[in-house]
Amino acid sequence: MKTKILTGNEALAFGALRAGAKVLTGYPGTPSTGALTTLLTMPVVKDRHIEWSTNEKVAFEIAAGASWAGQRALCAMKMSGLNVAYDSVISIAYSGCNGGLVIYVADDPGASAGMAEQDSRGFALMSDLPMLEPSSVAETYQLIQVAFNLSEQIGSPIFFRLVTAIANSHAMVEIEEPLPPLKREPILEKDITKYTKAGSAISMTQHRDLIARLEKAEYIIREWGLNRLQLAQEPGGLGIIASGVATSYLEEGFEIASQYGVKSEDLSVLRVATPNPLPSDEVRVLFQHCDALLILEELEPHIERGVYLEAHKWGYKGKIIGKLDGTFSRVGEYDVSHVVKGMGVALDVDIPEDCFQGRSEAEALAAQRPITLCAGCPHRGTFMAINQAIQKSKFNKDEVMVTGDIGCTILGMNPPFDTVWNEVAMGASIGLAQGYVHGGVETPVIATIGDSTFFHAGIPSLINAVQHQVPLTLIIMDNGWTSMTGMQANPGTSKEFQPPGNRRVDIAKIIPALNVDQFYIVDPFDLEDTTATILKCMHLPGVKVVLARQECAIQAQRRDVMPGLVHVIPENCNLCQLCIIHTGCPAIDVGEDTIIIDPTLCYGCGLCADVCHREAIVKE
Amino acid sequence: MAMNYDIYLVGVGGQGVLTMSDILAEAALRKAIPVNVFPIKGMAQRGGFIKAQVRLGRKVTGPNIPEKGADLVVGMELSESLKAIRFIKPGKDFVLLGHLWLPTAVMLGKAPYPELDQVQEEVKAAGAHLLYLDPEEIPLHEGAPVPANIFVLGALLGHTKLGRIFDPREVSNIIRHRWKTGAKRNATAFQAGLEVSG
Repeated sequence: MKTKILTGNEALAFGALRAGAKVLTGYPGTPSTGALTTLLTMPVVKDRHIEWSTNEKVAFEIAAGASWAGQRALCAMKMSGLNVAYDSVISIAYSGCNGGLVIYVADDPGASAGMAEQDSRGFALMSDLPMLEPSSVAETYQLIQVAFNLSEQIGSPIFFRLVTAIANSHAMVEIEEPLPPLKREPILEKDITKYTKAGSAISMTQHRDLIARLEKAEYIIREWGLNRLQLAQEPGGLGIIASGVATSYLEEGFEIASQYGVKSEDLSVLRVATPNPLPSDEVRVLFQHCDALLILEELEPHIERGVYLEAHKWGYKGKIIGKLDGTFSRVGEYDVSHVVKGMGVALDVDIPEDCFQGRSEAEALAAQRPITLCAGCPHRGTFMAINQAIQKSKFNKDEVMVTGDIGCTILGMNPPFDTVWNEVAMGASIGLAQGYVHGGVETPVIATIGDSTFFHAGIPSLINAVQHQVPLTLIIMDNGWTSMTGMQANPGTSKEFQPPGNRRVDIAKIIPALNVDQFYIVDPFDLEDTTATILKCMHLPGVKVVLARQECAIQAQRRDVMPGLVHVIPENCNLCQLCIIHTGCPAIDVGEDTIIIDPTLCYGCGLCADVCHREAIVKE
Repeated sequence: MAMNYDIYLVGVGGQGVLTMSDILAEAALRKAIPVNVFPIKGMAQRGGFIKAQVRLGRKVTGPNIPEKGADLVVGMELSESLKAIRFIKPGKDFVLLGHLWLPTAVMLGKAPYPELDQVQEEVKAAGAHLLYLDPEEIPLHEGAPVPANIFVLGALLGHTKLGRIFDPREVSNIIRHRWKTGAKRNATAFQAGLEVSG
């Protein structure tokens, strides 16, 4: 046993290894990415398979197949990834599993990664699968191991949920040596009543079994004491039900509330580690013991609704403080102020309003800081080319729909480009574009997507456009890496950077096979050619695909690869700032009499030189 | 350590804010002080808003510091510092490095940017004790400025209550072990921070 500083993601990864997991899959997505990243940087262990899969559905099916073969498997994803995988999750929930099968999903209350504040606990409720959720980084290491055991005990996949504040927090964790994968002979079990849904009798039996497995889970969870109930000696006080990360604020909250006369020994506390199934027995004990209940859970009131149901069933008449009475919001993260405020409301204790109200006026003075592309990003050339192509066409910028997609390519929505109009979900740019055409838009429609996103969910949609002959231009911005989440390799990553034993799948070979009408490959650092190609496509009929190909500058720079050297000729510069206006490049600054290019940031793409009218910037 | 100590750091990507919180976490580990560090780095590789919350002392602690809850706020960039003001506990230390990292719109003169005295007034209005670090005080080493984050770490150890929790020599050792190259440069940065006139 040793103490190390780990993130929640790392603690989860090490816990899965300690539990003997053999197959670990996932698709990168903030805040879950760190779990597999950690594992992939460790020495390769024989008989263990770890991979970034093409998308979350594929990742989950691989993990489920391994589990059906009797092995322990983990599948990691962010909340939106679970939406992708969920079709298979429901079906495999019905079948159950053999080896321990854990679906790790990371939610993002506070939306720090700019996605929906989706509460994935709702998916556990809908699929009748148990879900475990730790309250801290240290607990994550232990609880993930419990998840594998529980999964095998009941023969069902288990959800394991973290929120950003735990997944990305660093804290001290006591860990043991990782174990090699459990030595198990693979199972080949042929049983259509378990592994198919051929007929209503099979499906309904499986549905019954699924519900029975959840009931068994509830029993085992109680036996193992995963939800910790602490009762005040005297009855009649306040009962607090806290779940996940909200639990970690209790002690601090009790300290503060004690200054206002609240005695922590009068409080009963239920620390919930299983948002599904609800620990209803423990809740019932609280009904008998407490005159009021305070429920602390971030985002949706899932536990609270369960408590209301139980309260109705058992005729509990005490107050229930949470979100449904209006005390707390369903939006954003919790901190200690929620604990203190909740106790104040529940116990009618006067806690000053401004106790946790800092000076918020200051923030209004802060400059807007829209996120932008890195210096040298090849997407910069593509967005500039789209803008120039539209400018050179007979259309105005507000007449040409440019749909957007997930990843770094979405940064085209921000200044100075203002190119991309929308952002929905992986691969959605291509379907949306078709909808605009069918919706009657007769001006050119352009879809933009990155390489990993195209592999993930763009291909079926492009096939649809070809089959239905929808006139549109798809621009695939291929920088060779899954960059936004920290440079993971994807199917299109160059051969030399594929993990050992992998084969590259080249987008330039996929597109012609899909029988599109026109296909062009361009270099986004060649602004003139890229612009001319896009402009041509805007006026051609049919499905046109432009593959804008140039490696992610961050990755290339790590290998000291640079496309050129750019320098300023100060006497030619009149500070017109066109270079900044068009590129928004972080390497360019305004000096006294001339613009300045920071040589430590500049990648030498030369796009600034392309837009300079006075030859004040030169690329060599 | 009997007391709890909460630190709220803000800045922009590329300034080394997360490295500062990592170093503090390691210092805590070495002294067996319970610690939770919660970094948020947004989406951009460089130039985006960054924050890190370091909570020292509590065995069980939630990752987020409440408003008016931080014992120390560190602002590494003038404008971003404004976003941390609501987290300072009245009477506690607010360390402000006057670095400017101008967004494109500001550079083009299309958007406003706060003035130094505006930010200083806001910090004082929140009841904090302000320690202003002039970027001009960051020394040169072999002709190039030393890392600002190490300089500010030195200032935190030398001029705030953090210096009572961690021995500056311990932190200096951690920095030396972390980077094999540039040890002299980092030592210059740290020492200059320790001795800066606040």
